[in-house]
Amino acid sequence: MKGYFGEFGGQYVPETLLPALEELETAFNDACADADFQAEFDSYMKDYVGRPSPLTHAKNLSQHFGVDVWLKREDLNHTGSHKINNAIGQILLAKRMNKKRIIAETGAGQHGVATATVCALFGLKCAVYMGTEDIKRQNVNVQRMRQLGAEVVPVSTGTATLKDATSEAIRDWVTNVDNTYYLIGSAVGPHPYPIMVRYFQAIIGKEARAQILEAKGVLPDAVVACVGGGSNAIGIFSGFVDDPVELIGVEAYGTGADKNAASISFGFPGVLHGAMSYLLQDKDGQVLDTHSIAAGLDYPGVGPEHSWLAATGRVLYKPVGDADALSAFSLLTRLEGILPALESSHAIAYLSTYAVDNAGKTIIVNLSGRGDKDLHTVLELGL
Amino acid sequence: MITETIRNSKKAVIPYITAGLPSFEDTGALIRALADAGAPAIEIGIPFSDPMADGPVIQKASKMSLDAGFSLDELFLHLREWCGSVSIPLIVMTYINPLVRRGIEETLIRIKESGVSGVIIPDLPSDPADIFEMSKSIGIDLIRLVAPTTKPERIKDIVEKCTGFVYSVSIKGVTGSREIVPQGLKKQVQLIKSMTDLPVCVGFGVSKKEHIEEILKFADGVIVGSYLVEKLMDTANPVKETNEAFLRLIK
Ligand SMILES: Cc1ncc(COP(=O)(O)O)c(C=O)c1O
Repeated sequence: MKGYFGEFGGQYVPETLLPALEELETAFNDACADADFQAEFDSYMKDYVGRPSPLTHAKNLSQHFGVDVWLKREDLNHTGSHKINNAIGQILLAKRMNKKRIIAETGAGQHGVATATVCALFGLKCAVYMGTEDIKRQNVNVQRMRQLGAEVVPVSTGTATLKDATSEAIRDWVTNVDNTYYLIGSAVGPHPYPIMVRYFQAIIGKEARAQILEAKGVLPDAVVACVGGGSNAIGIFSGFVDDPVELIGVEAYGTGADKNAASISFGFPGVLHGAMSYLLQDKDGQVLDTHSIAAGLDYPGVGPEHSWLAATGRVLYKPVGDADALSAFSLLTRLEGILPALESSHAIAYLSTYAVDNAGKTIIVNLSGRGDKDLHTVLELGL
Repeated sequence: MITETIRNSKKAVIPYITAGLPSFEDTGALIRALADAGAPAIEIGIPFSDPMADGPVIQKASKMSLDAGFSLDELFLHLREWCGSVSIPLIVMTYINPLVRRGIEETLIRIKESGVSGVIIPDLPSDPADIFEMSKSIGIDLIRLVAPTTKPERIKDIVEKCTGFVYSVSIKGVTGSREIVPQGLKKQVQLIKSMTDLPVCVGFGVSKKEHIEEILKFADGVIVGSYLVEKLMDTANPVKETNEAFLRLIK
């Protein structure tokens, strides 16, 4: 069925939004078939974002773990994370669709900053919905968005995190659907968003595959990425999904079994924000409060394609908790001089598990973003 | 039953109330009071943690009900009693996720067996699980929504797979009181009516007596939610005040 990955995906939205999704799908398909659009996207990726991002051989980390570790450096992109790839792609689409106002949701603030950035670049009005909890813990990004001219709209309902910011963005979209483009920040939401976000993030996987072949002459044994909604993960996985390469998605285990954000590991199929996917929910289908030290992973749902990749067994999804992510944050900073985002630190942390049975193997870690935004959180914990 | 009731009602103003607010007992008392007051049917909203189609009032009401300990099992116990206590049809409004989690078919059967006449699912525009066929064989009405953005060809598809009445969403936006009757609403209702014999009821944003009277000139019924639900919260006597608010609207 259209817009589904197996049983996952779909368009579970208020009726009002259906024509907007159809319009978006048509515009996206037209853009994909248009060589000029592709060329424009590529040129922004190169000259504005600074791509290709390097694939760094992490020699000290490799020695530390006894596996050959390569880092895909999305932290070096303009604005400091992979989120800019998708923001550029979608803003070019919004321009084609002649939309004058852009809205977005953000958790860590990285997608909010990326969206505010492209709106400044193209002179479009921008409102970013952000939970008040996240506004507190990601204040640097709030200030960046404001400097860029975006309106940051605080959301205090529910758990006041990414989930509630997303609901509020959707409510805005239903209300202002005629002139507003909803620039979603992860591989979540109703069709066509998950495939669209994958399309724009696929550049990560394409580059990484070519880079590792260039550097080592062989494919890696494994690729690992953190999974919030799943955009950086689907981006890098898409480059290797047809290869004999082990793919691992790392979910946030928070403080443990009763307070985490590991939707695939601990959730059940359900519908949130327009798609059927694994969802952290109680026996009545009420969505549970989540927790992760990484604001960008603190979300009860996950992109529908990941649910499908989990169900088919093509990708393994593993939980990593706050404490291990923090250790990995310090480890990478001290050993490689690279300060990772707390989201990406979850993927780094998985290396210690991977190393146990895979001595000498080659693994690429998607370093989805840089950690400057997280210093506040880390300092508060006295690290 | 819903179709006939609305057709036979001279002034079909359907109240929407959030279940379990402030308590299940109060919901039961309110249902009886509203039925006595002349409501042709009552829409009972199942609170959901993430009500995407709802504005601030129903969001807050849903949260209060959930915080007060709302559970589906308790709702099912009470539904039977509520349906038995009035002679008008009761309609359940629920987001799709509670149904998905509990099993769509089993839960619809359970709702039907409690005596409920129809269901409204605000986030189910397409019907991948063929809930329409399911509800038909279960014998419960599936009331579907048409939005101001819905194109004519699609309206035709929707009304063909709709029973009870057609829910015409008055505005682009979420639930909550609005100051005006939107332009184009009359046209939308007339367009829907040209495609179906089902009654067409208007909901979202309606909160004023004058608006109700204006809308009832071209529609078969009106649904009033936020305006009433507001009275269920932070008032001294929620059941009484909500019912009085309803009476003021219909008198
Ligand atoms: C640096 C970084 N990595 C990862 C994520 C998680 O998002 P996703 O799973 O869509 O890549 C975020 C989200 O804010 C982020 O900022």
